[in-house]
Amino acid sequence: MSQNSGNRRKPTAPAPRKPEAAAPLPARENARRSPRTRVSLRAWREQHAQSFRASLRRLLARPGATALTLLVMSLALTLPLLLWLLLDNARGLGGSLDDARAISAFLKPSLDAAAAEALARKLRERDDVAAVVIKTPDEGLAEFRAQSGFADALKLLQGNPLPTVLIISPRAALATQGMPALVADLEHADEVDLVQYDALWRQRLDAILLFTARLAGVLALLLGLAALLVVGNTVRLDVQGRAEEIGVVKLLGASNAFVRRPFLYTGLCYGTISGLVALALVALVEQPLAAPLQRLMSSYGDRFGVHGLSAPQALALVAFSAALGFAGAWLATSRHLALVRPR
Amino acid sequence: MIRFDQVSKRYPSGQDALCDLSFEIGAGEMAFIAGHSGAGKSTLLRLIALMDRPSRGRVSVNGRELTQVGARGVPQVRRGIGMVFQDHRLLMDRSAFDNVALPLQIAGVARDELGKRVRAALDKVGLLAREAALPAMLSAGEQQRVGIARAIVAKPPVLIADEPTGNLDPMLSAEIMGLFAEFQQVGTAVLVASHDLALVKRMNKRVIVLDHGRMIDDYRPVAAAVSA
Repeated sequence: MSQNSGNRRKPTAPAPRKPEAAAPLPARENARRSPRTRVSLRAWREQHAQSFRASLRRLLARPGATALTLLVMSLALTLPLLLWLLLDNARGLGGSLDDARAISAFLKPSLDAAAAEALARKLRERDDVAAVVIKTPDEGLAEFRAQSGFADALKLLQGNPLPTVLIISPRAALATQGMPALVADLEHADEVDLVQYDALWRQRLDAILLFTARLAGVLALLLGLAALLVVGNTVRLDVQGRAEEIGVVKLLGASNAFVRRPFLYTGLCYGTISGLVALALVALVEQPLAAPLQRLMSSYGDRFGVHGLSAPQALALVAFSAALGFAGAWLATSRHLALVRPR
Repeated sequence: MIRFDQVSKRYPSGQDALCDLSFEIGAGEMAFIAGHSGAGKSTLLRLIALMDRPSRGRVSVNGRELTQVGARGVPQVRRGIGMVFQDHRLLMDRSAFDNVALPLQIAGVARDELGKRVRAALDKVGLLAREAALPAMLSAGEQQRVGIARAIVAKPPVLIADEPTGNLDPMLSAEIMGLFAEFQQVGTAVLVASHDLALVKRMNKRVIVLDHGRMIDDYRPVAAAVSA
């Protein structure tokens, strides 16, 4: 395999010379010997391009091993990604906060309208109450009939079994954590049969979501570590297979950066491609899941839709994956370089 | 260019490879290191190339005191030394051209200039026509000449060779040694380790003879000064 037989015959045109401030290492070293920093800058770019091509060639030289590594790494990325996506969708379940903050107090059926009005007036005087709405049994029945689709069944009922309901909106400052005093007071009131406080349910959901998010985080950490080791191990085998070459190149005066470069590109390639494959896998898995999930969601009154990854999120995933590949390759080559270092 | 100052090297096994060795080789000077195997020839070259560190004493190459060179400075020192090995150590999956190009790539030479210099080096060892050949397609003598082209392509001030003719027949060996003598004439300090005493004698150059790590002779031919 002659490495650049194709390229070396046509000398490259002088590259546009930019006054790049951060001169790369080889350029700096060369500058010390002769004033050719610009030429070296071009050489540095050429070196990188060549390292990149060489690492791509190496990946393609063993398609089986490469595909296996890519698949393992992308699966390790897909799992936490799916969990996170599920979580992100479930966040919509909680509905808007204002809805949940309202307290519904179901009054005892024996109470008449006047008593309900009296209680409502008493509640409105409290500091922590913003508003109280009285829902009479008739209003409740009408609402129930319109929403539940049980209109026909409800016609069979002799009387109205629904109690009067007070819908109390607490002031904004209240009801953030735990159970507000208002709820406790209502529960102890003689007129009240049952207090329904949605915020409690929401807090429980929040707790579940928080736990699941932590779980996804821990899984992502573990599987990310696994992906790192997969890349690291693959690159390590590659490094071992080229130990002799590394030895020769080091004797010729190559810096560690020079030795590392092609392997870092290999890791970067693994990471980037794995990230893209993981995105494709997520899209693939979404196909069978989307329809039943949509049905589940619509049973909650279509308050939110199922969504996939946004473009920035997808980009972030690929970047993260590429960083993992880079880090794995760095670890593998650094280990080898430390082992062969002369004492 | 190369200076040894009371250098000793003891390997962790307890074996004394070099004992209190002092000598100096100037620019444009060619010297042989002779001695039976195990006399310390390879160790001496390894100390120059920073593949090993001396246990005692000081080694200077190209005016740099090697004891003061840390791990980060090793590549820079090695770039000033051309190395030729007995087993040539070419990369078998790369053409002669790409093998010779390696030191220039490492030094960061741009591709168009690199091509010129690689061809000049290949021309000097008479292999310009074989630049596309893989090492396996070349004869032993040609492989060694590619190795020499690789050693001199970056024009290092110091050239060291460890038994460069160890695997070659006498005629090829003389040819290779002749090549080294040419580089000496352009101002390179050349140090060649060889156990082939007959060949070394014929070259009529300075010979440092080692025995069990000690210098037992530093022969300088009178005629060499005149001819060189």
